Amino acid sequence: MRSDLVVELDHITKRFAGHVAVTALSLAVPKGAVYGLLGPNGAGKTTSIRMLMNITIPDEGTVRLFGDELGGRHHSARIGYLPEERGLYKKMRVRDMLIFLAETKGVPRVRASAKALEWLGRLGLEAWGHRKVEELSKGMQQKVQFIGTMLHEPELLILDEPFSGLDPINQQTLKEIIVQLSRAGTTIIFSTHQMDVAEKICDHVCIIARGAKVLDGALTEVKRRHGGTNVAVSFEDVAQGAAAMRQASDLVLKADDSGVSAELTLKEGADPQTLLERLLRAGVRLRRFERIEPSLQRIFLDLAGPDAAHAERREGADA
Amino acid sequence: MHKVWAVVRREFVERVRSKWFIISTVLGPLFMIAMGVLPSLLISKSGRVNAIAIVSEGAGELPERVQQLLERSGRFRARVLPAEEVDSALVDSLTREVRGERLEGFLVLSGSTVEAGHAEYRGRNVSSIVDMEILERAVRTSVVVERLRRHGIDPTVVQEAQGRIDLATLRISKRGTTGESGEATFILGYAVGLLLYMVIMLYGINVMRSVVEEKQTRIIEVLVSSLKPFQLMLGKVIGVGSVGLFQVSIWAAVAYAMFHWRAQILGLFRVPAEAVNAVKLPAIGGELLVLVLVYFLFGYLLYSSLFAVVGASVNTDTEAQQAQQPVMMLLIMALFLSIAALADPGGQMARIGSLVPLSSPVVMPVRVAASDVAASEVGLSLLILAVTVPVVIWMSARVYRIGILMYGKRPSLKELWRWARQS
Repeated sequence: MRSDLVVELDHITKRFAGHVAVTALSLAVPKGAVYGLLGPNGAGKTTSIRMLMNITIPDEGTVRLFGDELGGRHHSARIGYLPEERGLYKKMRVRDMLIFLAETKGVPRVRASAKALEWLGRLGLEAWGHRKVEELSKGMQQKVQFIGTMLHEPELLILDEPFSGLDPINQQTLKEIIVQLSRAGTTIIFSTHQMDVAEKICDHVCIIARGAKVLDGALTEVKRRHGGTNVAVSFEDVAQGAAAMRQASDLVLKADDSGVSAELTLKEGADPQTLLERLLRAGVRLRRFERIEPSLQRIFLDLAGPDAAHAERREGADA
Repeated sequence: MHKVWAVVRREFVERVRSKWFIISTVLGPLFMIAMGVLPSLLISKSGRVNAIAIVSEGAGELPERVQQLLERSGRFRARVLPAEEVDSALVDSLTREVRGERLEGFLVLSGSTVEAGHAEYRGRNVSSIVDMEILERAVRTSVVVERLRRHGIDPTVVQEAQGRIDLATLRISKRGTTGESGEATFILGYAVGLLLYMVIMLYGINVMRSVVEEKQTRIIEVLVSSLKPFQLMLGKVIGVGSVGLFQVSIWAAVAYAMFHWRAQILGLFRVPAEAVNAVKLPAIGGELLVLVLVYFLFGYLLYSSLFAVVGASVNTDTEAQQAQQPVMMLLIMALFLSIAALADPGGQMARIGSLVPLSSPVVMPVRVAASDVAASEVGLSLLILAVTVPVVIWMSARVYRIGILMYGKRPSLKELWRWARQS
């Protein structure tokens, strides 16, 4: 047991009537990390998070939180949890709702009330505290839910698909909050299938597919391990792109071809310089040619890709 | 405990603030006032005088006797129309008068009325039970007098024989003759049964809807991440139950005030004093109040945990409407048994009904209100409840714990039973 680990899952397995949702999943989240739990829909992310939270009990394996096995509910005052399915009491006043949520985490009423006001102000909802939840727009309700997750100043935040269903403005707000909390020392675990978001804010990732871990570790380490020579190219138009791909084919191992742009993984020993020369000689008009690290999207597709279609069919069974 | 308290507080405050609570709390006493004032008001009401015609087809002195009796009642004014023969022309013309609202109706008495006991009344007011009762009694009495007279019996003897008879029914209880009437005892028993049935059902359903709401809005997942399902259910049951007790206490206070100042209240409705005293109100002993309270608590705990299971096993309010039927049936059975117990408080059905835990919370208080029940019997009934209720709560909590996180197909009874047993 390492004292700097906030969460340790050790070979946890969960079976439901028809199938195995999570198979011997192990992972470790260091204190202060922004940890991305990545995987296609139905991969077992929500089930894993629920086991972490003590909502469902694993059939096998152990869950350690803050160094002990007492479970998420025991530590609930130190944890903020945003489930995938959001929900608030519709008839309750916003401020009462927040106070109640904080009280279930053990925060005294007076303090909860002051904190609720502070956060409502911070997210521009000060005028809505006395309104009923159902009178708020969907976006505002989501903000209220974030506040409810963070009001008791948890050391560990667990967010299940926090960005899904958010408009760009709220996505930005949430991202800023996550960064702020992370700088203040909060450990954050969130699940998502949006790789671009994960890439921007995570420092650790774990990719799971079909209920099993495919890869995990610090983001820089993961990228280094995935290795290879990668090049990002953009073209003036689609026709140029097609011509370029023909020229490059014998140098390229894999291509994530998006028409006017592409991410190419070169074959062992192939020199990006050779590729560039070849493209120029062929008269391909380039807008961009850059040596890059593989994107998380690329790694994710390489590792979880073949599974994605299969996993999709089980969506919903995850619950 | 702090967490359970937060749930209790939320359930209580949110409910007491709701329109539903305010409306039902105000409507309750209004209903009681209506129930208290209406009977007195009806008794004192002189009402309209019915003008009718009595067609006499050779009925001798009978029509005059009927006329006298009717007019003495104060609700009828009758004129006698001698007729050779009751033909369609006469019936038509009288019917027209009734339609034209010049007459309320007409009574046809013939020569054979005394022998065959047959008479006919046609009118607009046949649905008035009180008027028809007076009319029938007048005809019956007159026919009897006429028959006796024909047998040569002295009319003064006949008159004496017809003197009014009053049977006063007084309840004897352990404390001696109480002075309250049989009717009052019946009303009290009925009121106790109905009140318990309604309050248990109302607040049980409230618990169910609260569970469904948490499932439907998905807030349940946030809640169970910080509270044990049992803490949540306990808080809910206590919170909703406190609202029930609060509301019933308000009603009880109003009822007490109404009883205490009923003469003044009735005065506001211009009800004369004798009408106030004509309606006998049952005396409610402290013992009965305590028992009603204790049985309410047991009954509510029992049924609200069953309703919580119903709530946890469905996804939507609509599904809950269906799934609640079996539990409702149990409660309705309890009400039926309590009515049977009212008819025969010492009978076997009443005894069994007041011991079986699913019906005893309604049946036993009714029996106690309507008759004397041995203390040992009450004690046994309470003991059975005290043992059963925790078991039912415990099993319900186990089903609830699993049900609240299950979505999709509704579980069968067999599955519910499996949930109750699995750890």
